[in-house]
Amino acid sequence: MGQTITEKILARCCGRDTVRPGDEILAKPDFVIAYDFPGYTDVFFREAKEEFGVDKVVKPERFVLFIDHMVPATSPKEEELHKVTRKWGAEQGVPVHEREGIGHQVSAELGYSTPGAFAVHFDGHVSQLGAFGTLAIGARKGVLEAFVSEDMAIKVPATVKIEISGTLQPGVMARDVFHHLVRVMGPSSCRFKVVELCGPTIDAMSIEGRQTICGQAMFLGATTAIVAPDAKTLAYMKGRSKIELDPVYSDADAEYDQIVRVDVSGLEPIVVAPPSPANTRDLSEYVGLEVHTGYLGSCASGRLEDLRAAAAVLKGRRIKPGFQLHVVPTSQAIMSTAATEGLITILVDAGAFISSSSCDYCYGRIATMSDGQRAVSTGTLNTPGRMGSPDSEIFICNAAVVAASALEGCIADPRPYLAAAASNAAAA
Amino acid sequence: MSLPNLHGRAAWVFEEDNFDIDLIIGIKNIKLTDLEELAAVTMTSQDPDFRQLVRRGDLLIGGQNFGYGHPHYPAMKAMRYLGIAGVVAESFSPGFFRGEISMGFPLMTCPGIRAMVSRWDELQVDWEAHTVRNLSRAGQSLPFEPLSNSERGMLESGGFIPYLKARLAAAGPGSAATGASKA
Repeated sequence: MGQTITEKILARCCGRDTVRPGDEILAKPDFVIAYDFPGYTDVFFREAKEEFGVDKVVKPERFVLFIDHMVPATSPKEEELHKVTRKWGAEQGVPVHEREGIGHQVSAELGYSTPGAFAVHFDGHVSQLGAFGTLAIGARKGVLEAFVSEDMAIKVPATVKIEISGTLQPGVMARDVFHHLVRVMGPSSCRFKVVELCGPTIDAMSIEGRQTICGQAMFLGATTAIVAPDAKTLAYMKGRSKIELDPVYSDADAEYDQIVRVDVSGLEPIVVAPPSPANTRDLSEYVGLEVHTGYLGSCASGRLEDLRAAAAVLKGRRIKPGFQLHVVPTSQAIMSTAATEGLITILVDAGAFISSSSCDYCYGRIATMSDGQRAVSTGTLNTPGRMGSPDSEIFICNAAVVAASALEGCIADPRPYLAAAASNAAAA
Repeated sequence: MSLPNLHGRAAWVFEEDNFDIDLIIGIKNIKLTDLEELAAVTMTSQDPDFRQLVRRGDLLIGGQNFGYGHPHYPAMKAMRYLGIAGVVAESFSPGFFRGEISMGFPLMTCPGIRAMVSRWDELQVDWEAHTVRNLSRAGQSLPFEPLSNSERGMLESGGFIPYLKARLAAAGPGSAATGASKA
């Protein structure tokens, strides 16, 4: 019987020919990734040494650390945490990437997303490396195991294959596809499973779109998500991959827990209303609802296609006076390309407040909302209080919806603006 | 090694599916580390008297996909401090499940539990029979899903760190499994 991509990767990492869902194995991660955060990295550094007597991690070249939260620091205590991280990295020979962007994105830019590799982190959004055919799992504090041992205990997950077909309509983006999966399959439909995404829509989708979908896998209940590497993936990774591995693919006779087919050809933009990512609604239900602030960024969105969509909506227009539009490109490399393309000028001229890359807007550390305020956001999560007061609300949507809402000061449909932009472009 | 059976009351039944456990203490409090401070904000929006009513050994009952969202550790730290001995839920979100099992905190996946339990019912979790019994309802019982070996090992050892120490010690010094170099 054949194996899935996931089973093949884990079999290699535990030195076996085959593994099956449910097998409890010790697998050697190819990459150990983390960002510094109080209670996580500082504790891993201390516990590895004090509890396990480990002064040096094995094969430090497998490790990479990011400073992307609390950037820039707003207190001596936050800066102290970053200092601890820099010092640990220097002592261990582990690179620390700081102020280069959100680690889940920069990991890919730096090549820690080798197709066929196995990567671990404490944060589950690392699943977005699955866009490159990397099996990337968030183990929460269990990732300490990778700091003190070359192996990690893992139970081989079963795989749910999702075949997506249909061409996306203008104004409908990758994150709408993800939210639609939550809507039709359910927020616990893939619990403890790996989601393997395929089908014509995924084939046609950009790498960025695949990152967006894979990165949100936890909100389907999934352990992670993965896409078979294709020509686009291999072209992106060429000269970038940190290690050399043959890409792996699921066998034709691989066994799946479930195969789900989803058609997205008629899909409309989605709004995820409070209180959780499970509350997926049609945009039309919320058009006209007053909103006060907008966030375009995060590890889920904030990439070039998101910035391009926002710029298409906002070009030559001004956002509503008093509305706060925060645009935070996911990485500095993306910021640079956006500047070259002229997107930054368009966004600034429209009244957007542009920030260098940071995770901090997503969880309300900055641009904090007060009681009664509402945000449209491309962030990851809409739990009440995540972006400020417990009495503030977050409506998650795609980048074009954020931009259109910024113009109108209420949740708005971006499609008329995009149609006007398309006809202007055609006339020019 | 065997696990001691749990015996306590249902201190709260979470009716919501996909419940975000950060709401137990409120998102604004997820950076608190002091257990007294955490206890003071625990369940205040659900039942302000929770702290006074709960007893050591009590259990929580959860719905489907309990722990959905970005589960942080302080909510269950506070619950343990108040005496909560474990959570029985229809199902758990994987991130929450991994995180709390690694704290040595028992989580029982038990489809049907919510319909079988009302608040303050007296419950017993039997690790041998793999059942949750409701002693307040003539001993009605439901099976719960078995844990993997490593999950059970973490509960038996009292958490991830002692469990991992035992695993590495069993693998022996200098073995591939131990891996990391020691000074």
